[in-house]
Amino acid sequence: MTSKTRIPIQLQINGRRHELEVEPRVTLLDALRDHLGLTGTKKGCDQGQCGACTVHVDGQRVLACLTLAAQAEGRAVTSIEGLAEGDGTLHAVQAAFLEQDAFQCGYCTPGQIMSAVACIREGHAGSDDEIREYMAGNLCRCGAYPHIVAAVRQAALEVASSMETAS
Amino acid sequence: MTVHELRTRHDDSKRGDASDGAIFAEAVGGRLSRVDGPAKITGAAKYAVEQQLEGLSHAVLVESTIAAGRVRSIDTAAAKAAPGVLLVLTPDNAVRLNSATDWLGTPPPDAPYCPLARDITFSGQHVAAVVAETFEQAVAAAALVKVAYDETPAIVDLDDPKAGDGIPIDAMTKEWGDAQAAFAAAPVRICAAYNTPREYQTPMEPHGLIAHWQGDRLTVWEPSQWLDGMARTYAEWFGVPFENVRLVSPYIGGGFGSKAFAYGYGAVAAMAAKMLGRPVKLAVTRPQTFTAYGGRAATRQTVALGADAEGRIQSIVHRGVNETSVDGMWVEPLGSVTSIMYATPNFSSRQNVVRVNTVVPGALRAPGENPSAFGIECAIDELAYEVGIDPLEIRLRNYAEQDPEVKKPWSTRQLREAYAAGAEAFGWSRRTAEPRSMRDGNQLIGWGVAAGTYPVRRAYGEAMVRILADGSVEVESSSIDMGQGTYTILAQTAAEVMGVPAENVVVKLGDSRYARAGVTGGSRLAGVMTGAVHKAATGALDQLVGLAISDPNSPFHALQANTLVVANGRLASPRGDGPEVSIAELLGSVGRSQIEAMGDTTPANWTAEDRYKNNTTIAMALSHTEGDYSRHSWCAHFIEVRVDEDFGTVRVSRVVSALDSGRLYNPKLAESQWKGGIIMGIGQALLEEGIVDRRHGRIINNNLADYLIATNADIPDIEVISVGIPDLHSSVLGGKGVGELGIVGVAPAIANAVFHATGKRVRDLPITLEKLI
Repeated sequence: MTSKTRIPIQLQINGRRHELEVEPRVTLLDALRDHLGLTGTKKGCDQGQCGACTVHVDGQRVLACLTLAAQAEGRAVTSIEGLAEGDGTLHAVQAAFLEQDAFQCGYCTPGQIMSAVACIREGHAGSDDEIREYMAGNLCRCGAYPHIVAAVRQAALEVASSMETAS
Repeated sequence: MTVHELRTRHDDSKRGDASDGAIFAEAVGGRLSRVDGPAKITGAAKYAVEQQLEGLSHAVLVESTIAAGRVRSIDTAAAKAAPGVLLVLTPDNAVRLNSATDWLGTPPPDAPYCPLARDITFSGQHVAAVVAETFEQAVAAAALVKVAYDETPAIVDLDDPKAGDGIPIDAMTKEWGDAQAAFAAAPVRICAAYNTPREYQTPMEPHGLIAHWQGDRLTVWEPSQWLDGMARTYAEWFGVPFENVRLVSPYIGGGFGSKAFAYGYGAVAAMAAKMLGRPVKLAVTRPQTFTAYGGRAATRQTVALGADAEGRIQSIVHRGVNETSVDGMWVEPLGSVTSIMYATPNFSSRQNVVRVNTVVPGALRAPGENPSAFGIECAIDELAYEVGIDPLEIRLRNYAEQDPEVKKPWSTRQLREAYAAGAEAFGWSRRTAEPRSMRDGNQLIGWGVAAGTYPVRRAYGEAMVRILADGSVEVESSSIDMGQGTYTILAQTAAEVMGVPAENVVVKLGDSRYARAGVTGGSRLAGVMTGAVHKAATGALDQLVGLAISDPNSPFHALQANTLVVANGRLASPRGDGPEVSIAELLGSVGRSQIEAMGDTTPANWTAEDRYKNNTTIAMALSHTEGDYSRHSWCAHFIEVRVDEDFGTVRVSRVVSALDSGRLYNPKLAESQWKGGIIMGIGQALLEEGIVDRRHGRIINNNLADYLIATNADIPDIEVISVGIPDLHSSVLGGKGVGELGIVGVAPAIANAVFHATGKRVRDLPITLEKLI
């Protein structure tokens, strides 16, 4: 592919603007991992089946492997690297995953955490069964599911109480 | 970024639960959170193929679309002309490689090795590869490679009429007493066939590598359960010294047995990197992970049990078959649990393997024990119903007080305790025996029990421990952490021995430049490496104390002490007199920048060649029945299923498992591994099955939407109970295997529960709804 077939795109990722020139067929996942060095977002299947590549686009959880990088132009992308605060303070979901041992190999974990943040924000963490259902798109072969449910439950309570405190 | 640069700053669960008594989370046996956790939850953990290298090119494989025959021709013209293409590899331009020693240590044949095939023995075999500047270009160009075949009939699976009875594997034969005669004479007899399909490891991180040559030195970034074994394979393939190959695998996104060997695609990438003179990345696609290496072989067993009227087993006659490939050999030992779970005076087990057109099968969590337990643990349940006694009671009635096969005492066997603790927590006594006797509306409820076991695989290990000038401790080993918790338990081991906080211990793993290590498989690593680190850390501590006592510049020099104590990173006299100084202060005053100690558990008379064999083959491993004892982990699973009476859908609604893995080095992490095994077992029982297209011999569900593994919504809360006691015959610190044990016995417990719910015996996994309605 010659340079003529590359297109310039601008991506807003974790609050920072990135300019890159890529083939139009480059997915958001490969743009993050291969072109920007943001390898926290994982490639588990590259066909929208496992959830390991889950990121937020304009606050919604999306599969980065089924999204072209060009489709994310003009939108705010958040990846796992952008979840903690600037001073390194972990997001409540990250801290809960560590405390509950909600992962083993860690490869599905960034996608699980991004899904969990959205799951709580969507209001789908009301019960263990609801959490199981709304986290079912993120596969974990190590089998951390019960601990993931516990972590989402814990983080949902913390998020709710911090929102109460704020209001 | 590697884990040691990201020391945990979180001090959660520094102390263990109240149930742990006074155990600090940081000591061995404490519930310390994963020390590699912060890197994994922030995205900072860089897995092997995520390294960013200058000049990186991308390789994509082309696979055979027939299962048997020969490649007639490969038309590479269009691919070569495609944008960005650097190289199209076929058998015609492939570099000649050597065959390599196998994992058992068998010397290789004196014949060249080509990872790209002309003779096709299975669908999905690598036939060509395309390397291009970008991943997208390589994918596009690979689709332009045209392969023409001369196809021949394939043997698609075990049910193929051409498959035949296979090859008897004499090493699998186990016989005592006169099993056939005793079975014929037994008052109660049951006999049934149990089948398991092809199953796949499907770690969330697909396989792949980055290969980079600098002169005749090769660096391979590849997820690996066995850095040194794989380094040996690469070295032999390319005819370079072992020391010239460096494997790097800082984190591994799951392995489950599938990441212990260098496979053909690794040879392809390393060959391309050599030919191009630049680094090559080859990421195996998810569909390719079903054929680039083997999953669990499909198996068939018949189990015949003869018993007296009270259900006491008089004879077990067992026959097993597993599939293997046309040109490779994989034996899935199907009699491994059959021969040790129950006391029987007469026993016979034999096994054949059948060659079919498949990739050579491989290890998947508890190879052998897993399908073996499915046979015997379903059969004993059938016997319980035949005799009319409780399925738990029949297990106790036939309890093996010693290893029935080798006639040696168990090192430890807390299985009776597991039955008692599991039954109590589950409420087993409230079970009504009759099938279909428990229900909740239109849901039939079934309660099933089954036991599991896994041998204690032992090996020798070595480790490097350093005390650095700042008082921190560094542990180095080329062993790995794929989620079992190696980073964490080795930090705990060194912290306990050295008397320093665990957060002051940096564990470096996953680089073959570190102290060498054998395979991470068969649940052996924790036992091997805690032993080695314990020894190395003890050596480092002895040096430190020795320096403190004897060095003229040490503040302890005048004390005339025989020894000193180190606690919380500070040295002091055990008598409480004299000074108290930090490790850093001591090293400063005696002018040492570091203390270094290699420690190993290897026999003193070992040569360098013995060590090489220990780290690159399993030839030096110790048998679990060596010496005076038979060593195994044990477990009992109690499982509730709910079966929709109209639709036949099965849901697992409750699991209580009691497990004996000896002493747990970190219960928090061990519980996670046990639950992970149980969850994989639920998937095996209800969902997982590689489906073969019988026309073309292909696996047609080669992706994560069609090869179903358990999702979050399939899994209930799971209660695990540790009933183990320290077993010093099994390991230096008293632990037995953890990782494989949990899955063994889950599928039969579910099958038994389904029978209890429905009255139907499904002996053919997975238990899908069409088998119930």
